[in-house]
Amino acid sequence: MSNNAFLEPGGDEPVQLNEKLLHAAVKLNTLLLAAVFGSVSGLAMFVLTYLSLYRGLPKPGQFLNLLGVFLPGYSVSHAGAWVGLFWGALIGALLAAMFYRIYARSIASQVQDYLRSGGSKDDLMGVTLRFDGNYLGLALGTIIAGGLFITTSWLVFRGTAEESVNAVLLSQYLPGYTVSMPGALIGAIELFCVVYMLCQLFSWIYNSVARFRGRKPR
Amino acid sequence: MTSKTDSADKAILMAAFAKMDVVALAVAVGSIWALILLLATAILLLKGAPEGHEIGGHLELLGIYLPGYRVSWGGGLLGAVYFWFLGAITGFILALLWNMTHYLYVIVIVVRSAWWRLMAE
Repeated sequence: MSNNAFLEPGGDEPVQLNEKLLHAAVKLNTLLLAAVFGSVSGLAMFVLTYLSLYRGLPKPGQFLNLLGVFLPGYSVSHAGAWVGLFWGALIGALLAAMFYRIYARSIASQVQDYLRSGGSKDDLMGVTLRFDGNYLGLALGTIIAGGLFITTSWLVFRGTAEESVNAVLLSQYLPGYTVSMPGALIGAIELFCVVYMLCQLFSWIYNSVARFRGRKPR
Repeated sequence: MTSKTDSADKAILMAAFAKMDVVALAVAVGSIWALILLLATAILLLKGAPEGHEIGGHLELLGIYLPGYRVSWGGGLLGAVYFWFLGAITGFILALLWNMTHYLYVIVIVVRSAWWRLMAE
């Protein structure tokens, strides 16, 4: 029996999920999520840059300028806002695609739950999305913890670990975190656990509210 | 067996095209953002500042964008309220965009299939 085949309770023959359809559905949602997040994060970078430029700290761009360490060409300036728009859109889209690729593993189990419950009479477009806390935590935790590990490693490899006085303040929240390779690993593991727990809470709130509003989550 | 396969196909499409509950996402994102700021403030207050730093010197800069916010218990609560609304707006927009892109995609499919049917006739 393949990964996407399963037995229904009381059934003797395995139900095989249509791999092609499943793959196409995952691909579609990956593209749509990448488009949505790419647009939102690109615009957010653009707006944040201008906010910092015109209404920022006593010294405009004091901290936002530090993003230039990770995003080549970025600075808090008019030209930098467009560079930020580009990097924000690109990174937002890539991270969203990676996120959905991991989260999509929950689709097969959602389909199995649906079939085990005997299906429903819901209209195809009338179904409300249900979040799976475990897969959400796994996907978001991996992306965010991986992001911390990569950015810290970058600071170490470019030889500015000693000067990274702002990054090291993360140790206030992640005990044991330092701007070093072992510190990055410890910080990433801790951050994964924190994000995983927050995702469990997030899913519970979302699913509860959706259920309360009278739409059966699926 | 065929009906089971049909059901499985329908279930895959339902999972792919399930729409987000806009209000639920707004409430959930807002609550998590509020909790994060409240915890971030509380941890600093409980642990104190590292040597050579004032308590929450960086986090307090949020006060420039969120009038009244400070790294204090009262400020943490006020910041949580601000973050709840900001998170709720973010969640609301994300859910709207997610649903809208799916509707647009379905509309494109329907229009394309109608077009090809028309051309075939």
